[in-house]
Amino acid sequence: MQIGVKKLRLALYLASVSIFFCASFIASIMMGSLQLSPWEVIDSIISPWKDPVASSIVLGYRVPRVLFASLTGFVLGVSGGVIQTLTRNPLADPYITGMSSGAALGAAIAFVMPSLPYLAVPASAFVGGVSMLVLSIFLAKKAGAGSMGFILAGIAVGTFASAMLMVVLSIASEKAHGIIYWLFGSFSTSTWMDLQVASAVSIPAVAFALYKARDLNILLLGEEHAAQLGLDSRRLWLLMLIASSLSVSVCVSFCGIIGFIGLVAPHMVRLIIGSDNRFVLPLAGFTGSLLIVIADDIVRNPLNPIAEMPVGSITSMIGVPFFVYLLIRKGKSFGM
Amino acid sequence: MVCSLVVNGLKVQLGSSKILEGVELRVDSGEMLGILGPNGSGKTTLLKCISRSIAPAGGEVLVCGRPAREYSNQQYSRTVSAMLPQWPSGFSMTSGEIVLMGCRNQTKGVWWEGEQELEVAKAALKVLNALELYDRDFDTLSSGEQRKVLIAKSLAQRTGIIVLDEPVAYLDMKHKLEVMNVLRALADRGKTVLVTLHEIDLASKYCENVVVLSHGRVVAAGKPREVITPELLSSVYGVDAIVKWDEEIDYPVIVPRTTRMLGEEVSCLR
Repeated sequence: MQIGVKKLRLALYLASVSIFFCASFIASIMMGSLQLSPWEVIDSIISPWKDPVASSIVLGYRVPRVLFASLTGFVLGVSGGVIQTLTRNPLADPYITGMSSGAALGAAIAFVMPSLPYLAVPASAFVGGVSMLVLSIFLAKKAGAGSMGFILAGIAVGTFASAMLMVVLSIASEKAHGIIYWLFGSFSTSTWMDLQVASAVSIPAVAFALYKARDLNILLLGEEHAAQLGLDSRRLWLLMLIASSLSVSVCVSFCGIIGFIGLVAPHMVRLIIGSDNRFVLPLAGFTGSLLIVIADDIVRNPLNPIAEMPVGSITSMIGVPFFVYLLIRKGKSFGM
Repeated sequence: MVCSLVVNGLKVQLGSSKILEGVELRVDSGEMLGILGPNGSGKTTLLKCISRSIAPAGGEVLVCGRPAREYSNQQYSRTVSAMLPQWPSGFSMTSGEIVLMGCRNQTKGVWWEGEQELEVAKAALKVLNALELYDRDFDTLSSGEQRKVLIAKSLAQRTGIIVLDEPVAYLDMKHKLEVMNVLRALADRGKTVLVTLHEIDLASKYCENVVVLSHGRVVAAGKPREVITPELLSSVYGVDAIVKWDEEIDYPVIVPRTTRMLGEEVSCLR
């Protein structure tokens, strides 16, 4: 791609994502049991004394909700890009590799335990997420067979984690309803506190991944090439694994499993500007935020706010056809 | 950087099979050494040892007088660049992006390549007469073009020692000569160049010295004119051939005689 064409495509993509993001961001604050106009939204933020009820709804629930959704989308988009690079597999994503299911299992275990501190849930989610990711990578290496081995290992690990999760649910049946609701992914309960904890963990992790974007590019060439260029690929692998597991797990522990964003977002960006991670990762994050905020707008039910659809179901309904498309089109060139 | 490459009694064993059994060679700065040998003679394994992709079971590789294993990754990447035939593929990267990665050894921790690196990358492609590939997607190139891009990536590392595994495989006659000319010119300007080749005539033309490997051992080494003989071709490659040195253009002409007439053996394959 010519440099000029690339710059133009980049500018157009960035502009359209920004416009849609702003629109869906504001829409997200407007929608709900109390419908607000854009002016009322702005009023409630800059002059909260005029309408304290609207203001408390906007600032107490809707703003943290949409911010948390944006953060989660950014984290999933970047982590998807990172995991695809680490495994050199374009079909990898936090959900498909079993990492999200593992994090959910970890979170659920901490959730049903009586009287654990607030931070135990994300911490346990991290342990679950990283262990399932490592397990599926290990199994994939043992099984060989390239992309297909990786996907099968991810399915095996993810199914196992889900089965364990069912066991946890059946043991703690009195809390099961809450867990099931959370499991499918929802931002309806996001609070400022959640946002603070999740940001404190995932923003540094994501920033670190972006900082290492050039070295991640070199990893795309394969480990031997990377070593010849002076890159300690094992160390980078380990650091990136920790960074992506940490950031994904902490988000999953608050909002549940939201699949396929990490798959779809980086691919959308690659279609536009190629596979340089210095572009792909930040833009995939931004795209992930957009997709999740849109999905979170779709699930709102203005007539009955209690009966919201889970966000994860929307992202999976969009993501699965996309995954199948990639499997058919890209699969061929990956020895599958 | 002026540097010598010495291989001392190198041994490599994969499982129970011995791939290399005490290989010795030496290349000095300003010299281009060709490694010849039939398929499976250990040429690629030797290069992988030199590029530290595999660790030898015995012997050592000395780079500028220092054992290769004592270098850090970063130091080594600034001293030795290797072009090994492993295809980076899958994510559509442009050739330019791949060649630019070669510059990474000089600029660790830099997030964005500067003007100078862009110049180096373009120059590397340009000397190989492949600048038009810069913006092309690597995966869509032909094998020969991909090979040129990988050579350019090695050149962009700007190391004193360059090792290349079959740099002219898949290339047509003109491009073979172009690549060999570039390597020769780099050697003439003080680089240490080591190449494996299947093209005996090109090796004889361009390299000061050749080393012939067979079953993991060095069976002949020295000036091409002394090494490349009908006896060697017969004993190492199993090919009955005539070797004539054209004095006028200083180039060997190798004409194989027909090896074996097959009749009944292929009839079942019809």
